[in-house]
Amino acid sequence: MLLTIDTNDPRPIYQQVADGIKELIARGKLAEGASLPPVRQLAADLGVNLNTIATAYRALQEDGLIVVKHGSGSVVAQRTNTERTHDELVRPLRTALTELVLAGLSSSKILNLVVRELNIVGKESK
Amino acid sequence: MQAHMNEYVVIFYILFWIVRINGCIRRGRQPLLRGRDWFFSVHVPPDFYTGAGRKLLHRYWMRMLIPFAVDIPLAIAIFRSGRLILLNWLIIGLCALIHINHSYNVDLAERQARPFAVPEAEQPVASVALSLTPRRVRDYTNRTVEWVLALSAVLAFAWLVRYYFAAPEHHNLRWVFGVPVLYLYFQLGILWVKRVVVAWRTPVPQQQADEHLEAREETRKLYLLMCDVYRLSAAAGILFWPVQISLTPATFDGVFRIWFAIWVVLSIIATVWVEIRRKQLVKMALRARPVKLPDFLHQSEIARWPVCYQPTAPMLMLKGARGYSLNLANTLTYLGAAYIAGLVALFALLRMGR
Repeated sequence: MLLTIDTNDPRPIYQQVADGIKELIARGKLAEGASLPPVRQLAADLGVNLNTIATAYRALQEDGLIVVKHGSGSVVAQRTNTERTHDELVRPLRTALTELVLAGLSSSKILNLVVRELNIVGKESK
Repeated sequence: MQAHMNEYVVIFYILFWIVRINGCIRRGRQPLLRGRDWFFSVHVPPDFYTGAGRKLLHRYWMRMLIPFAVDIPLAIAIFRSGRLILLNWLIIGLCALIHINHSYNVDLAERQARPFAVPEAEQPVASVALSLTPRRVRDYTNRTVEWVLALSAVLAFAWLVRYYFAAPEHHNLRWVFGVPVLYLYFQLGILWVKRVVVAWRTPVPQQQADEHLEAREETRKLYLLMCDVYRLSAAAGILFWPVQISLTPATFDGVFRIWFAIWVVLSIIATVWVEIRRKQLVKMALRARPVKLPDFLHQSEIARWPVCYQPTAPMLMLKGARGYSLNLANTLTYLGAAYIAGLVALFALLRMGR
């Protein structure tokens, strides 16, 4: 299972790592209880500062997506109903939709895009 | 007995030379393995080998001979002194020197060739792929091998304890247990090497990620298998030691001759097998086109000397401005240093009271 980091992506590396792992969990490619590589392994493979990967793992832990067990590594956490508020969940969706509207896409195109992406994520997570 | 031991050591040294010839041919061909458009993993223009490349290739071949320049005078000195047992230490030292020299040699040759490389090929790729499969020593551990190693050690030490307590006043404690303890310590050293091999970083470009990953993973597995073979041969040495010290001088020569013959035959078989496997791995590696990966840590700036102290860099070795740089702020470095200190202490302890 591979995670891709793009140097042309404006997001910082830790964000790309966290988002990449999130996406794999959402698609069901990283199942509950699956072990994640140690921080040192990912940092060495990518050739980045240890703190970069540690920050990504911390962000995932704060989101409740992984459990960091000291000494035995990190595992994908059990999926529970999110504790985040409706507003917190809608905010990133609104930001993404705003980006698409500003990019000049029509409402129907945006809707098609959202449905297609949801199908990809939904299908793979089943 | 000493005369026979000297004979065996010399045979072993000759075999070591024969094996090295093959290694030399293999390393000599390495720069051109991908064809004349490549110098190792540097993509070069077609006229490279008629110009600057010829000189670089020649220098690379010359540097390959450094271990011979060290070996020949030392071997002559050992033969002249008559202390042929020292050839064993020479072989161990040369094995390390050959590998270190080769790594530095390839790195230096590539750095010297980069100014002549095809400009587009020198641009780092934009996308890097990372494997999310955890790599820990236990993921690459063969339980059967571990059981065999543990049982052989327990069996040999139980035998030695019995042997020693049968007549403690006649036996020297250090002599009875010294050799197997050294073998055990050698096994521990190989475990350290295994950790280094497992930690060996695997950065791959997004393009051809599977080919790159497969080539690296198969090479890692071969190295780890070789580590286990070395550990098993040390276990065989531990097991044979009680047999060896229990033999009478009359029977020793015959048994030792058989033991040595088996050892030589197995070494030859293992060498041939490794060479075949190596060729398969080269074929696999050739499928993955070398690319330059982005250097997020700016290693050439933070590692200017052969050693550096970079606690936030996760690697044992950094690719610095002047070649490889050993990161002193790494757990593997601490363990390696502790191992060497332990080895020195062990030797001092075994030599005490002689």
